[in-house]
Amino acid sequence: MKALSIAATGMLAQQNNVDVISNNIANANTTGFKSARAAFQDLIYENVSREGALTSDQGTIAPTGIDIGLGVQTSGTVRLNTQGGFVSTENDLDVAIDGQGHFVVNLPDGGRAYTRDGAFQLSAEGQLVTMQGYEVDPGVVVPENTKSIEINEQGVIMAYVESDPNPVELGQLSLATFINDGGLRPMGNNLLEGTAASGDATTANPGDPGFGIVRQGYLENSNVNIIQQITDLISAQRAYEMNSKTIETADQMMSTANQVR
Amino acid sequence: METNSYISLSLAAAARRDLEVTANNIANANTAGFKGERVAFEAYLLEHPGGEDTEFVIDAGSYVDTRQGAFVQTGNPLDIALNGDGWLSYRTAEGQIAYGRDGQLSLSPDGVLLTQSGAEVLDSGGGTITLPPGITDLQISPEGTISSEAGELGQIGMFDVPSIQSYERLGAGMFVPPEGAQDDAQPTESTEMVQGSIESSNVHPIAEVTRLMEVQKSYERATKLIDNEDKLIRDALRRIGRMG
Repeated sequence: MKALSIAATGMLAQQNNVDVISNNIANANTTGFKSARAAFQDLIYENVSREGALTSDQGTIAPTGIDIGLGVQTSGTVRLNTQGGFVSTENDLDVAIDGQGHFVVNLPDGGRAYTRDGAFQLSAEGQLVTMQGYEVDPGVVVPENTKSIEINEQGVIMAYVESDPNPVELGQLSLATFINDGGLRPMGNNLLEGTAASGDATTANPGDPGFGIVRQGYLENSNVNIIQQITDLISAQRAYEMNSKTIETADQMMSTANQVR
Repeated sequence: METNSYISLSLAAAARRDLEVTANNIANANTAGFKGERVAFEAYLLEHPGGEDTEFVIDAGSYVDTRQGAFVQTGNPLDIALNGDGWLSYRTAEGQIAYGRDGQLSLSPDGVLLTQSGAEVLDSGGGTITLPPGITDLQISPEGTISSEAGELGQIGMFDVPSIQSYERLGAGMFVPPEGAQDDAQPTESTEMVQGSIESSNVHPIAEVTRLMEVQKSYERATKLIDNEDKLIRDALRRIGRMG
């Protein structure tokens, strides 16, 4: 009975759905996190009888055929790349992107990653690094005895050293955008990785046309809409139940068939 | 077996077919742009000259429920939903022109507008739509025109497909004209495009579950009839045996 396997694909899809939703809820307070949604599509159809088949010698044709679908599959997870809310932290090294773009991070293995999480720290050598200790590109070193750091909207980093009233310019943060943001692969640790689907990174300074600006002293919150997630969770659970009902019905029908003498 | 059993058997086979179609509808209850499928049954008359005619059930065809699905807001600028009878047009990886209502779009690395399964989304002239890099404020009008600060970038085609019922279902929400048939799709203006929403599946959960119950009962009825028929014959044989 095909109904069993069809319902199984439905349950599997809803399971994926719940997985994606629970990850969103778990990351509701993760800096720079972008909410995802599982997208589904119907599987191929078995054309039991073809549309347009001849029904008489006079050339009349069947207006419809019989198409039996084989279920559903997850076609992808779509990341919602909208702006998250800003949270004021008053920390000099916290920066949020207002608009498009990702910070560029140099990975220890020489690769590149991209992130919207601007909770930066300093390493023992004064290097600007992410929470994991990865260097923020382009490398910026804060001199010793720095009293305060200022980052303007264009990402220019300035340091006030000792009693010098004039700031020292240390460098400028750069942002990267992609034609297809959705094609970036999440690596965990708030990092994203470029793929063949995302296209190559276009790098520029904050504030350039098509790029966002940076705001010092703020972090970007996740863009997870909790109410939406909970309602999605409810509908996923009900859909799961409905599929199990299909299995139950198919099972009972088979058992009825077995009881025929 | 007597003809009676075969009539019941045709009912059981029809119920099974109905179950499969209903199962697929339920499996796709959360698939964006999905249109439910229904089976149409009809009587197949077997004429007995001089005797009584018998009627069997056969599944004549399945048809698409083209009713509008509910809109769900996502806030994603590349999610579109259609309000009306129109269809989006896609070109599949095999080069086939297909129609569907799934508007969860994304971009290729070159900026070409694609569906989640990688089919190209076409404009009203049948061409692909390419967006330049660095767009910040993507707007899609109810007519399907895509624009940004840089001006108009293209238009997503919406089509009227009068003979959609005769189209073959390809999966991934797509319909293609059957082999040898004319593609009669025409650009339409009577349908509205809504940005930032997706059209959810038009499968009605309650209707489908009721359908399941109905299918099960008619299946049970069919097997019961077969059973009764069998008992009748056995009974008759026993009596005849006693007479001899």
